[in-house]
Amino acid sequence: MPIFEKSSESSVTRAIISQFAKDMDGFADTDVIIIGGGPSGLMAARDLALKKVRVLVVERNNYLGGGFWIGGFLMNTITIRAPAQKVLDELGVKYKMYEKGLYMTPGPLACSKLISAACEAGVSILNMASFDDVVLREKNRVAGAVVNWTPVGALPRNITCVDPVALESKLIIDATGHEATVVRKLEERGLIKVPGFGAMWVEKSEDAVVEHTGFCHPGLIVTGMAVSTTFGLPRMGPTFGSMLLSGRRGADVAYKYLKGKK
Amino acid sequence: MSPTSTSRARSKELLAVEVLLPENHEIKNLRSIKPFVSSLFPTVKVEMRPSIGEQVEDEQMEAVASSLASARVKDPTRSEQDFEPMYGELDYERRVLEGEARAGGILYDGRILEDIFSKILRPKVDRASIVLTDRLVSTFSRDDLRHHLRTIVCGFPSIVSLPGIVEAPAKPREYYLIKQKLELQGAGELRIEQLKSSFKGRFLDYDDARTIEVVKGLVFQAVMFHLTLEPFCEKRGCRLFNAHWQEDLIRSQITSAKLCKDHTRQLKALSSCPSIAW
Repeated sequence: MPIFEKSSESSVTRAIISQFAKDMDGFADTDVIIIGGGPSGLMAARDLALKKVRVLVVERNNYLGGGFWIGGFLMNTITIRAPAQKVLDELGVKYKMYEKGLYMTPGPLACSKLISAACEAGVSILNMASFDDVVLREKNRVAGAVVNWTPVGALPRNITCVDPVALESKLIIDATGHEATVVRKLEERGLIKVPGFGAMWVEKSEDAVVEHTGFCHPGLIVTGMAVSTTFGLPRMGPTFGSMLLSGRRGADVAYKYLKGKK
Repeated sequence: MSPTSTSRARSKELLAVEVLLPENHEIKNLRSIKPFVSSLFPTVKVEMRPSIGEQVEDEQMEAVASSLASARVKDPTRSEQDFEPMYGELDYERRVLEGEARAGGILYDGRILEDIFSKILRPKVDRASIVLTDRLVSTFSRDDLRHHLRTIVCGFPSIVSLPGIVEAPAKPREYYLIKQKLELQGAGELRIEQLKSSFKGRFLDYDDARTIEVVKGLVFQAVMFHLTLEPFCEKRGCRLFNAHWQEDLIRSQITSAKLCKDHTRQLKALSSCPSIAW
């Protein structure tokens, strides 16, 4: 007696293609596209999806979570400063207090819970797909993203010449970390000038990241470490509280904008 | 630095000191500045006013936000910063002015801030205006051709940077060496508080209850600048000492908290008759 039900190869193939085609049809025009599936991007995506906003996360890697799997120096303890531990409470992540105001949790636990929370909230994910360019509308407002499969970029041009596809959205969130890929694309087009990381190191850097989270160009919001690069904020250590709270603030800013548009 | 005066007849005596509260109101007992200044200059009226953002008229908001965004120091090795502020920078400055975001983490050119605040406050000769701010402030030094963080930028108005009290004067050299080592080991975040406690008392940190005493001393320096254009003293134990090291700051403003003999004499004279010497 076999363990599994009988199914043909063609049925498996049809299941994959039909569901993916249906998903892609939805991705073509959505409310918010978030480029980057690290902690700030996932946090923003989860909060928006909980408010019934249609969100797509585009992640260039096969895996989601970005640097949230590990802490500083490749050690997988994540540190979170108060009040960001309240987000861990919401996500059901257990943590320990290291000292007053500073908490620790295993990276794999926190990261997997955040991914799970985003998916359960209804966030759509397009992984192994890389951001290629922005879609611009009137007055250079960002109105979508051009994406392609990540492996295409890794192959020589003479072997692959695969055109990307454009996905439209009301807003884009750049959550690509210190690379600030979307913001850099605007810089390439001469629409913005990015100062890069600030030279100083000050202890209130985490606060500055959260406070600067918001629009950096019409139609484009920045969250997480991309905020540091975009606004030239001081460098900061490997702590994730500001990533989570920046994602949350990015979602708030996006939601207010979308609500205002309606 | 060009204060305006509406009354020449009254321009030689200081009649009032106005202290504008910071944007974030994180330091406790800021209101104690008023009795402190009054005790030094009993004839002068001391006013504590809401933050600079609350002095900006609605119709000025965009222009002030734009000026503040342009006052950022993005390259500390350049005396003048040549850049067009971003949409997001303007948006951030507007939110700070309106109290929707907190100030902090950005470095501003103190001289440009002075100019912006001057246009908002329109300082008078007989009134010393002092802006307490949560912004980090620097001025460009011709000695080594780079910007340096400041606790105070004396001018019209004078600016006292509250995070500057923690960040500008240098901590003990050994602190930086150990901190650098910890960061290389990836343990900077976890052990920073332990490191700080091993240097306890040798520098001021955020939320330190003693900070208010330093703020009072800096406000005093600003008033002395308004009266004499010479706010600083070279003696380390004097409250008018311009400290570049945390240990000197603590000594002059907290441990000693006194004036040197010369400045005690000068204050005694100014106390009864706060005449403006310029």
